[in-house]
Amino acid sequence: MPDFEFQRYVTIGQYLATGSPLHRLDPRTRLLSGACLLIAITAARHLQGLGLALGIALAALLFARVPLNYALRGLLAPLPFILFLAVLQMLIGPQAADVPALVSLGPLQVSAQDVLAGVIIIARFIALILLISLTSAIISTSEFVHGLETLLRPFTTLGLPTQDLVLMAQVTLRFLPLLALEAERIAKAQASRGAEWGTGKTSILQRVRQTLPLLVPLFLNSLQRAEALALAMEARGYHSGKGRTSMTELHFRAGDAVALLIAAGMSALILFL
Amino acid sequence: MRFTYAAPDPNTPPALDGVTLRIEAGEYVAIVGANGSGKSTLARHLNALLIPTAGTVAIAGMDTRERTHRLAIRQTVGMVFQRPDDQIIAATIEEDVAFGPENMGLPPDEIRARVRQALETVGLWEVRLRPPHHLSAGQMQRAALAGVLAVQPRCIVFDEATAMLDPAGRRTVRLMMAQLHAEGVTVITITHFMDEATDAGRVIVMDRGRVALDGPPSEVFADEDTLHTLSLELPPIALLSRRLRQSFPALPPNLLTAPALTSALDALPHRVTATPAPPPPPPEPHVVGPELIEVEALGHVYLKGTPLEHRALRNVTLSIPDHGAHGLLGATGSGKSTLLQHLNGLLRPQEGRVRIGEFDLNDPRLDLRAVRRTAGLAFQMPELQIFEQYVGDEIAFGPRLQGLEGQALRERVRWAMELVGLDFNAFKDRLTFALSGGERRKVALAAVLALQPAILLLDEPTAGLDPLSRRELLTHLQTFRGAGMTLVTSSHRMEDLARLAETLTVMEDGRSLLSGPAVEVFSHEGQLRTLGLGLPAVAEIASALRARGWPLSPGVLTAEALAAQLEELIPRA
Repeated sequence: MPDFEFQRYVTIGQYLATGSPLHRLDPRTRLLSGACLLIAITAARHLQGLGLALGIALAALLFARVPLNYALRGLLAPLPFILFLAVLQMLIGPQAADVPALVSLGPLQVSAQDVLAGVIIIARFIALILLISLTSAIISTSEFVHGLETLLRPFTTLGLPTQDLVLMAQVTLRFLPLLALEAERIAKAQASRGAEWGTGKTSILQRVRQTLPLLVPLFLNSLQRAEALALAMEARGYHSGKGRTSMTELHFRAGDAVALLIAAGMSALILFL
Repeated sequence: MRFTYAAPDPNTPPALDGVTLRIEAGEYVAIVGANGSGKSTLARHLNALLIPTAGTVAIAGMDTRERTHRLAIRQTVGMVFQRPDDQIIAATIEEDVAFGPENMGLPPDEIRARVRQALETVGLWEVRLRPPHHLSAGQMQRAALAGVLAVQPRCIVFDEATAMLDPAGRRTVRLMMAQLHAEGVTVITITHFMDEATDAGRVIVMDRGRVALDGPPSEVFADEDTLHTLSLELPPIALLSRRLRQSFPALPPNLLTAPALTSALDALPHRVTATPAPPPPPPEPHVVGPELIEVEALGHVYLKGTPLEHRALRNVTLSIPDHGAHGLLGATGSGKSTLLQHLNGLLRPQEGRVRIGEFDLNDPRLDLRAVRRTAGLAFQMPELQIFEQYVGDEIAFGPRLQGLEGQALRERVRWAMELVGLDFNAFKDRLTFALSGGERRKVALAAVLALQPAILLLDEPTAGLDPLSRRELLTHLQTFRGAGMTLVTSSHRMEDLARLAETLTVMEDGRSLLSGPAVEVFSHEGQLRTLGLGLPAVAEIASALRARGWPLSPGVLTAEALAAQLEELIPRA
């Protein structure tokens, strides 16, 4: 009953321990490279650059040994939205007076340029989603936390409570899968009391109406969990600020420098091609 | 070192009221009491999570009121909480265990050494890199304990740490408590399991914020009537001992543990080999009604076709007769919950067949809502899924979706509430979130019953309840059975199953290992033990006596049956 398996279509945020060479890089390298490419894809203006980005994302997924059909399935859920945006862009994008229209629908005219703009949108979103899935597949939560902590450490001198921020991120990541499971459980409990979950015949309106009874217990349970967690943390002597140490020490190697350089070069290509 | 507690705490209404206690270093103390009696509040005063409103709490001479002492106090007293999920912070076990030492500001090498030692003590070193949600509840609870051990406290408080565990998980945690105690650590355990309290050297009974009783287990569990007024009960073995003493007054009083009771019985003059073993009783006149539920070669894989897929069921076969009472037992993760979700159409069979009454779940055109109305499912901790503000609305949710309204709806809600012992007028307008744990569970159960299902599926109905609520719930369930409802219950408590179920299925790793009449399943002692499941108290004693040469017939599950057989063997004085 895929209706209840909320995790099935979410490939973002799912770490896969395949042990590829990418997994063995310093977490800081992976974070910085990912961020670099992300910015480049967001800012890229031409289809050639985005095409390259798509190629890089697919190649990196292969290199990271992430099953391609799994990564591509993550595109299914947002695809309608992306298509909708693209169509919107084609129909109401800015009109250039000297370009002949391909199709006219009353006041709406679609030119070759508009089609290109639509395709760029699609390519950009797909590249972004693939890249984020890839990054989350190769960085485990703890690596993310430690990488972020060391990257942000310089800002501590500016008075930023980096340790607290990173802990917040850590706890959030820890609880996301739990929330998904809990939502699943609540939906099932309501279905067994006659709600239309998972019978495969619900209208969008009904779905929206069903969400409220789902959110109330989810929210209350999260509050309860948060309280219990805070208690457990306090009981184990948590205190923010000075005097905390960390078990893990990170090592930046030559391979990391090479990887960073490659990522930076690729980003430049995506931006300016 | 001295370990003192004294806290008169005048709140309105006070959670703790004039509590004065002294716990010495190296003691093993159990704290029991009904829900809301102040056990957890008391425990939280012990490591400065709570500060008394009045009075003082001193831990190893340090006043918890002093902020400067707080870190030192938390390094002296560690705590393990009830829900394993909610106390693990990091993404891997190893890092979670490191959290405490990191807070102490230890150097990385020292932290790694302590983490390793703590994880080896609880036997989780091999799985240290796993994310917590891929561990069983028992493993998670051991990880939480490792997190406390890494701080090397002199005292550890277990706040209902075994409530959510399967029998094997419970046994491991109990063994660890005993081991820690033997190593000189002060152990304080809060529990609803009376048999766990008998492990301790001292039992403190809390009642409405006060210390009601305080003494060794043999003293505290001597008077059943007092315990009942405190909403508690005797441990299963003590209960059995009391029943046997009626038949055999020569038995000494206060036999609390299985070995003690066995030895005492064995010491009575009895015939061992003189008479041959009585033949096993003929198979129970089992009502072979039409099979209501039939499951055949059922298999299920979660997240099929993704890298995260895992198999929950394989080749499960069982059948449950109409008006039957079926029990499911097995360790956490053995597939009980997944199986139950197939029995009301939440999940459709991926492999094999499932039939419930007239509904064939393999038929793609089947109306799943009709199946779910026939078979009502109450999830584990169903009170967590309550979403309405008022009790009445919560229970009316299902019937309203069925199209009931006005007077008919009102009557239905009243009927369901009365089934679980909630007074309609007193409770229908109460706020759901202001109810006690036991009341909330009753509301959640009434919400399922309001659909008037012919089959009631219950996943761990008594987990986490205090003895009084548990006893009430079991009584109600037995009443439903009497009214002709088919019950399917999963439970970690053998006592519950011995009381509720006629037929049993033992699950292991997604398979249905044993299935049949309860008497027969419980006679597969060795197999149950290797699965870490154990036996109900009566069967446990019978088995121990058999091992000492008593010719008892197999399949003894009730105190009455055991007493009757013993009367044959022990000549009356």
